[in-house]
Amino acid sequence: MNRRTAIVGIGATEFSKDSGRSELRLAVEAVRAALDDAGLVPADVDGLVTFTMDTSPEITVAQAAGIGELSFFSRVHYGGGAACATVQQAALAVASGAAEVVVCYRAFNERSGRRFGSGVQHREPSAEGAALGWVLPFGLLTPASWVAMTAQRYLHTYGLTPEEAFGPVAVTARRYAATNPAAYFHGRPLTLADHAASRWIAEPLRLLDCCQETDGGQALVVTSLDRARDLPRPPAVIAAAAQGAGRGQEQMTGFHTGDLTGLPESAVVARQLWRWTGLTPADIDVGILYDHFTPFVLMQLEEYGFCGGGEAAGFVAADELPLNTHGGQLGEAYLHGMNGIAEGVRQIRGTAVNQVPGAGRALVTAGTGVPTSGLILTADG
Amino acid sequence: MDREEHLTAQLKAFEGRPAATRATGKDPVNLPMIRHWCEAMGDTNPAYTGPDAVAPPTMLQVWTMAGLSGHQGLSGQGRSPHQGLSRHQVRSAAYDDLLALLDAAGCTSVVATDCEQEYLRPLRPGDEVTFDTVIESVSDRKTTKLGTGHFVTTRTDLRVGPDLVGTHRFRILKYAPARTRKTPPRPRPVVNRDNAGFWEGVRRHELLIQRCTGCEVLRHPWLPGCNACGCPDWDTVRASGEGTVYSYVVMHHPPFPAFDPPYAVALVELAEGVRMLGNVVGVPYDKVRIGLPVRAEFRAYDDELTLPVWRVAG
Amino acid sequence: MRPGDELPPLTVPVTRTLIVAGALASRDYQDVHHDPELAREKGSPDIFMNILTTNGLVGRYLTDHFGPASVLRSLSIRLGAPNYPGDTMVLTGRVEAVDGDTATVRVTGTNGLGAHVTGTARITVGGAS
Repeated sequence: MNRRTAIVGIGATEFSKDSGRSELRLAVEAVRAALDDAGLVPADVDGLVTFTMDTSPEITVAQAAGIGELSFFSRVHYGGGAACATVQQAALAVASGAAEVVVCYRAFNERSGRRFGSGVQHREPSAEGAALGWVLPFGLLTPASWVAMTAQRYLHTYGLTPEEAFGPVAVTARRYAATNPAAYFHGRPLTLADHAASRWIAEPLRLLDCCQETDGGQALVVTSLDRARDLPRPPAVIAAAAQGAGRGQEQMTGFHTGDLTGLPESAVVARQLWRWTGLTPADIDVGILYDHFTPFVLMQLEEYGFCGGGEAAGFVAADELPLNTHGGQLGEAYLHGMNGIAEGVRQIRGTAVNQVPGAGRALVTAGTGVPTSGLILTADG
Repeated sequence: MDREEHLTAQLKAFEGRPAATRATGKDPVNLPMIRHWCEAMGDTNPAYTGPDAVAPPTMLQVWTMAGLSGHQGLSGQGRSPHQGLSRHQVRSAAYDDLLALLDAAGCTSVVATDCEQEYLRPLRPGDEVTFDTVIESVSDRKTTKLGTGHFVTTRTDLRVGPDLVGTHRFRILKYAPARTRKTPPRPRPVVNRDNAGFWEGVRRHELLIQRCTGCEVLRHPWLPGCNACGCPDWDTVRASGEGTVYSYVVMHHPPFPAFDPPYAVALVELAEGVRMLGNVVGVPYDKVRIGLPVRAEFRAYDDELTLPVWRVAG
Repeated sequence: MRPGDELPPLTVPVTRTLIVAGALASRDYQDVHHDPELAREKGSPDIFMNILTTNGLVGRYLTDHFGPASVLRSLSIRLGAPNYPGDTMVLTGRVEAVDGDTATVRVTGTNGLGAHVTGTARITVGGAS
């Protein structure tokens, strides 16, 4: 699969706090925009991949987007952890011959509709529901609260304050968002003092440690590298794509085992990406690391080997790697990681608003604290 | 148009209307009030004393305050005084009508949220302040931790004689206190065939830890098999109840009605080695720390719900 | 005086006396600033500091630092977590910009619950009015 497929089209709706239309329509708009960008038409598509959490079925998106027969459709579980895995599924399908052109999409009204941040108070007694049942009665009800538990232990272990550890991640994201017209925080950079003054959400997380809940849709078109070379845009080659779950992995509440200073699922992905590409962190020109909450950006940098344990805050503050150059989900939009993949593609094409000069290798990751996924995208040739 | 939209439309109609016109401050700028202010603030700036004294600029709003004597029969009728607006006879009916509309909608409480002031020249003893206030904006319905209500923003221009000496923008939240709701029950544990034994134990005031009968490894949460060896057979051991705080979170937002934020949720490492979640009792939420020794107790929250809680060992 | 300069912090013990004295000195007789029982009826756990007192304390913090000859030109504040009795507020400030002899200063007051006040001031240093 590796280096045999590429992302050839990206398309998104506007990112907003209230889209005013259905999630299905957002999905269809994003798929159409991505096909236009790729120089392809709906009739070219024979595969669709999305998240299990998505409310728009592949068949319905196909029906409304003018797409015909499908020979491949698939969904990936575990929330934002699915993002890069949708591209992996597409690449596997294309490389195996199961499909020729696969569109990955994610669309939701996550801000004006059901907000993840508004919390969970009830679950059915399935295995998945029971897992969350260990924390709900005690008032740990939101994604922020589940992340905060691990974040607190991380700070304690390395003797860091939330301001010095998490502030640089928020400030960096908002610095890039400030110059990105598509970003929610366009024109609104942030200081460390602003971060430190923002109100507590789930201590040690403040408001400005949390991503921007968003309405919108994002789609990505994957096909073979051979076919990509005949299309108008320079291909973003899928040099490697991987999923990862740690031993004893849980969804968001994985604090019952381990030392809570890292993200074992990211280590599983990192190992594969480095092994398959032969690259090392020093070879990466731009990192698009999933930033639903600031602490998990730090832990990813450490798990991927950009720096040692407890050193990531300094690494970010020193600006050692162009990071989340679209503004991330803290600054651009929370599109469940799919907008980050699009940013990785733009960087490889050389068309990002905050372009890293000559960027040829991008690392893109998906939601963490859950089974996760990652990609290395490279320029062709 | 539903009721909420109807109210919002009514409220919006007040935007741009005057709240006070050519009102006069109750006292001219004077040294005793300046001195009382400086005493309260602990402000020893010499600029505020002596023959060339000026008033602290941040007193700007003070010179417009109605004070305890109130104005025109409004005091003592159960309506709280509103900061920043003199209740002089010159006050327009528009502001009273706006507040009455909000009161009638249940937004009977008030809290100030923003104050933006510009000081064009210092005020000196003897200055007689007059002021005009306009209702700048009334927000849509907002839900805050305090309750649900509307933000009202006013702007006041202060003059001495014909000269503009300062401007003062002020925002209050008029809201219905959240407390009137009865506390709803806490979220229930999610009980199924795999974990029912744990929750039955809690009802008997026992903390039961699963133990693999193949490799003897203890585990929590409960599962029908062992991650260490894959063995499906297990029994339980009763936890001693001793533990230490391994990590914790202080919850602030959003304000779930079943809880009373801020509150601490701790991840406790039991003496036996497994970790469990729970609320900490015996210290305030802001005194919970990693490493605190705790001991399990059991608390009944309602007829159907008993949960372990962790008391800080003293 | 340069952008980035940090003002030394000022620690303000939030006593019941300060809250009531501040309310009286600002002629603010709202019950939530002096009567715990009525404050509780309105959904507050205790009395809390009024916005005029916070404003006054921020003003004092600035002129204490820049000296008696400094002149405050503007001050905008936003309140967050209330100042309840028994808490401690720590005021911190940072010079954001300097234009001639006038500085723009960002001030934050943090208490045990979080940010009580965030604000921005413009202050002319050493100048006549």
